Amino acid sequence: MTEDKERLDRAIMAMRVAKELPPGGTVNLGIGIPTLVSMFVGDDSIVFYHSESGVLNCGPLAEDGNEDIDLINAGGQFLEPVPGMAYFSSADAFAMIRGGHVDVTVLGAHQVSANGDLANWMLPERGVGNIGGAMDLAAGADKVIVAMEHNDRNGNAKVVEECSFPLTGKGCVSLVVTDVAVLEPTPDGMVLRETAPGWSPEDVQEITGAALIIPESVGEYEV
Amino acid sequence: MPLTETSAFKIARRAAREIAPGAVVALDRGLPELVARVTPESMGVWFLRADGTLNGIPLSAADAAAIVRGGYVDLAIVHPAQVTADGRFVGRLYARDASIAPPGIGVDLASGARRIIALHPQINEDEPEICLASHLLERPVDGVGGIDRVIADCAVFEPQGTEFVLSEIATDRQADDVVADSDLSEVVSISDYPAAMDFTVPSGTPESKVHADGASALHDLPDGVTVFIDGFGGPGGMAHYLLMSLRDRGSRGLTIVSNTAGIARVVSFGTPPGRTAIDHSVLIENGQVAKAIASFPVSPSVSRPSEFELAYRRGEVDLELVPQGTLAERLRAGGAGIRAFYTPTGAGTLIAEGKESRTIDGRDYILEYGLRADFAIIRAHKADINGNLIYRGTSRNFNAVMAPAARVTIVEVDEIVEPGQLDPEEIVTPGVFVQRIVKRPDGFTGYE
Repeated sequence: MTEDKERLDRAIMAMRVAKELPPGGTVNLGIGIPTLVSMFVGDDSIVFYHSESGVLNCGPLAEDGNEDIDLINAGGQFLEPVPGMAYFSSADAFAMIRGGHVDVTVLGAHQVSANGDLANWMLPERGVGNIGGAMDLAAGADKVIVAMEHNDRNGNAKVVEECSFPLTGKGCVSLVVTDVAVLEPTPDGMVLRETAPGWSPEDVQEITGAALIIPESVGEYEV
Repeated sequence: MPLTETSAFKIARRAAREIAPGAVVALDRGLPELVARVTPESMGVWFLRADGTLNGIPLSAADAAAIVRGGYVDLAIVHPAQVTADGRFVGRLYARDASIAPPGIGVDLASGARRIIALHPQINEDEPEICLASHLLERPVDGVGGIDRVIADCAVFEPQGTEFVLSEIATDRQADDVVADSDLSEVVSISDYPAAMDFTVPSGTPESKVHADGASALHDLPDGVTVFIDGFGGPGGMAHYLLMSLRDRGSRGLTIVSNTAGIARVVSFGTPPGRTAIDHSVLIENGQVAKAIASFPVSPSVSRPSEFELAYRRGEVDLELVPQGTLAERLRAGGAGIRAFYTPTGAGTLIAEGKESRTIDGRDYILEYGLRADFAIIRAHKADINGNLIYRGTSRNFNAVMAPAARVTIVEVDEIVEPGQLDPEEIVTPGVFVQRIVKRPDGFTGYE
């Protein structure tokens, strides 16, 4: 029975993702759990944050009362001005993404398939959705990491054999960090890399919509 | 007759008379550069030079070529080695040694400039590299059918397909003599009444780009056109005053192209606490919008739908959903005269349906088309009276890519300054892309 098992909170997931950011790399963080990741990047690890709003090397969120409408991230949050920022047009912002200049992007998702297809822009029941920069990031970033809850509010699996929701990109996801596991999509299927404390590979399989490839050694969720 | 300083300046002055006040003129190296020296500054002419500067504003090679291909060059002045009666021309470097000479910008000018005139310093058979010809020597051609007029120091020639017509003659020369002396009789016929060449310096001033208010700036924005509306989604970088002016004007059946279709009002995107921002919703609730082309058209919150989403669900507006980077690149391409491009974004998704696709180096790409509009309503921080713009912070994003892609770009700024008060090194949008400037009224906040 997995219902009673404790799942990791969003901060722990963000800490796990933070370990994947290469020092000196250029990183684009999506909205939601991904935004939290920057809080857990160590001071000794310099990461350059990129935002589709047209800023590179952006800093932390602005403090209350310090809001500047001309300094926002892609989620419409206000940024604190920091030394070394660069501003540019949307054409340049996406040239950076598609041109292979963004090392890692961290995105949320509705579904990820076993071979790394990503669906994160529309829930079919709404009938309309926002793409924003997600399709460009999926197509252009060197490494796409998905940070999401393992199951949706109704308990449905979000790691699936094939996505049933409209795709954002095909075969683009390199790593999936959830509240119970770390998984790696491959052409052969979804490989289970790490499980949360108290979760066995079989527990994770029970709440997953794709047949997991379980290697001989599955690590403990490492933060 | 060798080229003297006097005759060179005469040619330059006659060429300058081809220029309208405020025009954008691309200058080849050499003799054409003299044209800028004889043109009065008061004419407000934009000179795009072969060194990649635009009235002193340094441009990248890509941006300089974009101005040419984007259709912004009213007149190109070249100094070719050879011009044929059907308007083709060969650059001088090519003429000397085709194996080492690059085609340069001549090829772009030939396809992008509205008019091209060639300066023809000497009519002299001793200089066979510089000639009017019925057919080209066996050399690569820079432009096909591009040259509209050839200006020499004693006559003007019009390429007419199979021959040149001498249409103007210097008052101290005889047309018959010029043709005979220079052995041009095989390729030139003389107009029945050649006009007298005018070597006086041109004059005139361009119409001011500065408009007193939004109503004046939008006075000719009709129903049914496409309008780029700036900004990322929040109040930063959005021309609220012009948006309200457009609502007051009431133009209907508009296709709006924008990153969002108005979400700031319902979810406070990029909006300081306690404020409600004016956004696209003012046009939608006024029934002025028929279609939106956007990447982030609806509220991220299902429970707080925007005016656009409500109208969309009522079937009152159409939507073309475009990935944000594809939207930016479609605008960039539209402004740069690139009709279409292949992008990997959206391959294998709903976005790819019905579009041409191609596999290049093992990866799938889809064909997307450049986007142009009749009008753009954009926001910048400062403009000089020539329309050179600087922005603030992240509010540059879609403004800077929309400005070049519209026929009439109208900018709302905090401050209008005199030429020279903006550092050319810091200008982001050169004024050739800006047709009208309006200062945001004092006290206007952009909030409801």
